[in-house]
Amino acid sequence: MIKIGETAWKAMVAHAEAKFPNECCGAMIGSIDGDVKDVTLAQPLENAYSGAQGARYELRPEDLLEADKKARAAGLDLIGIFHSHPDCDAYFSKTDLENSCPWYSFVVLSVKGGKFDHANSFLPNAEQTVAEKEELIWPKS
Amino acid sequence: MAKVLIPTPLRQFAEKHDSVELTGTTVAEVLASLTQKFPDLRKQLFNDEGKMRSFVNVYLNDDDIRYLQKDATPVAAGDTLSIVPSIAGGV
Repeated sequence: MIKIGETAWKAMVAHAEAKFPNECCGAMIGSIDGDVKDVTLAQPLENAYSGAQGARYELRPEDLLEADKKARAAGLDLIGIFHSHPDCDAYFSKTDLENSCPWYSFVVLSVKGGKFDHANSFLPNAEQTVAEKEELIWPKS
Repeated sequence: MAKVLIPTPLRQFAEKHDSVELTGTTVAEVLASLTQKFPDLRKQLFNDEGKMRSFVNVYLNDDDIRYLQKDATPVAAGDTLSIVPSIAGGV
């Protein structure tokens, strides 16, 4: 299960809405206690995809490395990655799967007409062939 | 000895260490030391043919080894290796 705290959630939604109609992306940082991943901080990262970003995103590995260093320095862990699907549901697409890694939770935020609509979290496998849905809890307001 | 930073999700395969000091004079040797010490990490980093998985990047200090000498990149005492995934996607 992945639980997202209020501060992190607000940052994720704000980033996703601000980047609409493009896709946004970022890192989720927090701590892991048994089966529960607790996200306390969201770090928006630049979408480095070189083409049209309405339906694509790409993270620079060095940006992720920097986010990991920040998390370590704060005694926290890099737990997952978030990105948005503008005017589209929060499913894990074929493109998402083929460019994923099995180490992190992948939270997808659906943004419709510029406003957050719903979200889901996924856990892809190492072969990038299947992504299992993960229970996601975010602050409802 | 070089330091290898273990990403959070891989620590379960590395006796919960967040970093380890390992011997090796090249990236390939240090990674071999890593998977020898923690065999369960091998499947996470390499495919069945022994090739590094497509989403795995290795950084020597702040530099991607693809732009150095790949896994033949020399590693000196005090260097830090980081394992960072490639991530992208889209609708």
